[in-house]
Amino acid sequence: MRLYDQIFNVVKKFKELFSPGPVTNADVSGSITAEIFIIVSIVIAALLLRHVSLLLAALATLILAIVLINNIPLLPKFKIEQEDSLEKMLFYAVFVLGLIVIFLYWGGTLV
Amino acid sequence: MAETQLAILFTSIALVVIGLYAAIFVDNIIKKIIGISFIEEGANLFIVGIGYKAGGIVPILMPNMNTTWFASNASYPLPYGLVLTSIVIGASTLAVMLALVMVLYRKYGTLSTSVMLADTSKQEEYDE
Amino acid sequence: MNELIPLMVIVPMMAALLLSAFSRFNKVIKCLALVVGICLPIIPLASNYGLHFFGGYQPMVDNVTNILYHPAITYSFDFMQQIFIAMVGLLTFLVIFIYLTKYKKASGSYLFLLFMGTAAVTALILTDDIFHMFVFFEILALAQVGIVAASSIDYSYEMALKYMILGSIGSPIMLLGIGFLLAMTGTVNVTDIVSIVRGGLLDVTSPVFLLSLGLIFFGWLYASGLPPFHTIKSGIYSKAEPHGAALLQSFTVISMISIVLIMFRIYSTLPIFEVLIVLFSVVAMILGVSMALTQTDFRRMIGFLAVGELGFIGLGIGLGTQYALTAGLFQALNEIVITALLFIGFGAIVHATNEVDTRKLGGLLAYHPKVGIMLLIGGLAMAGVPPLSGFQSKLMLVQASLSCGYPELSILTIMVSIATFVVFVKTFYSMFLSPKPHDLEVVDNEVPKAMVFAMAILLIVIIALGLFPDVVTSGISNYVGGLLL
Repeated sequence: MRLYDQIFNVVKKFKELFSPGPVTNADVSGSITAEIFIIVSIVIAALLLRHVSLLLAALATLILAIVLINNIPLLPKFKIEQEDSLEKMLFYAVFVLGLIVIFLYWGGTLV
Repeated sequence: MAETQLAILFTSIALVVIGLYAAIFVDNIIKKIIGISFIEEGANLFIVGIGYKAGGIVPILMPNMNTTWFASNASYPLPYGLVLTSIVIGASTLAVMLALVMVLYRKYGTLSTSVMLADTSKQEEYDE
Repeated sequence: MNELIPLMVIVPMMAALLLSAFSRFNKVIKCLALVVGICLPIIPLASNYGLHFFGGYQPMVDNVTNILYHPAITYSFDFMQQIFIAMVGLLTFLVIFIYLTKYKKASGSYLFLLFMGTAAVTALILTDDIFHMFVFFEILALAQVGIVAASSIDYSYEMALKYMILGSIGSPIMLLGIGFLLAMTGTVNVTDIVSIVRGGLLDVTSPVFLLSLGLIFFGWLYASGLPPFHTIKSGIYSKAEPHGAALLQSFTVISMISIVLIMFRIYSTLPIFEVLIVLFSVVAMILGVSMALTQTDFRRMIGFLAVGELGFIGLGIGLGTQYALTAGLFQALNEIVITALLFIGFGAIVHATNEVDTRKLGGLLAYHPKVGIMLLIGGLAMAGVPPLSGFQSKLMLVQASLSCGYPELSILTIMVSIATFVVFVKTFYSMFLSPKPHDLEVVDNEVPKAMVFAMAILLIVIIALGLFPDVVTSGISNYVGGLLL
């Protein structure tokens, strides 16, 4: 029952996602598809860790699945982070640059 | 000496880091663009630094020079050629950016990035 | 006939300069643009494969180490380059044709930007010189910004400035990476760098070499619009004129594959290179498609889809086997054609209704059946429905990831295809099939004939590549085999 309420709230939250105007069936069903798609694809992508360590993959998959499902609606959070303002774009660009450099400098020879 | 080259490298890294800082934390668009052009200058300075040779001579082969002596003493000319190209590109990029800023300043009347370059997808009103 | 190789870059560049110089004479520039547009796909098809050394500086053998050095800027032209340059030439011709028939008064500056962009991507894919690549990468970014800023859509200047500012972070970082490589090897020719790396003259595990990979990789992310640059990339697609967007996405795809192939040649000895590419491709697929599902502006939606599809190309290249690389490059070719078709088709709808919000459209199939059917086929091709070209390349990708031992990636690929299909069906339904809203006025009942013509030609290419993929894949496979040696 709790999950059902949560999904119902998701649909209500979606209304804020769209620019002002009526929200149609197609938009809401698209958003629910996106929600499920994000959860499933991230969990499947986490399975790729099994090439590093089987235990790590199992743990990561379980933890991700629990965290993601408990945090629906994910889509508003995703969408706010990917909006068009220059500040967010620049922040993520520099953040990813930092990640790549750190990852390569200290972890480049480990893989 | 090698210290000179080290100083060049540290300066270029400092320029890049200052530029990245300005890109995120400075709000005024002109200041932000100046900061971003620091990154470009840092990269250029780094490439110039590669071609540096302590006590080297200008890499132009004069008619009465010994080629072996020239090869061991001349500084490496390729980076200078590259940097020249890169500076020209940087200048044209800067010009285009500032031209766009001029147009946008006329539209918004402010130089604040958070106003000028905010999220526009929500502003496209659903007009009935 | 190797003289034709530099002409592939010189012809569009010369045309660009002439067009902007003589922009006052309307008739002259229209004729010139059309003639050059027709020449663009013909030159690569007529040219022979081979190398071109600028200035005629032939390669020199170092007597001590027996390594061949290339002092000249080198262009190498093979089947892969031929097919991609011909495709971009064809697309440029179609876009210019649409532009010239749409406006009575042609703008020389706009045509300058289109031709300059084409020249830049042609040079990018031909070049064997890493600094030359950087120069044209910057010229391409400027041309793209110009094409976006020239459009009359609201907020196009803002988007162009954002793209430019992000670009002026991305490209100096890439230059820094090139500087690191130059410092380690003393050369900028890719073949020379590769022979130094493979010959063991360089410590591939040294932090400097790894860092140069990271920095060039970041520049590549900007050029190809993978995350974190997917929002800006889809943004510029949605703010450009539709025919401009069709060309912009082909520029993106070609700059993506040409830079990644250069990186692949230099860094493929490092396993982390492939890990990085697969990682960012997977993120691009997830974010691109999930964002596309929530858009109401259909131009933005196609933009996000185009970014999501880039993940497939990256996946093919990241897997690193001959079959996977072939699949990735074939997917790149298909994406250029399919996305161009979608942008032009949706552009026709914008032209006819002056509306970009899917919620305010409906029942358009009755007004524009031809555009509707062609868009439907294009969308199905993008989602990977047989027997269209998207199906062939996606099938190859699924097989490649299975044979590499990554069934997760196969599942992910299929899931993303299904989600793409959902996006497309949702949009197609609300635009063409749902009942027409009362306040929707179809302003202009005639879709421009040039747009229908362009869509028809692209559709023929899609169906032909879907039925006979071997025409392209066998040649690309040979090229990739040479690359992996």
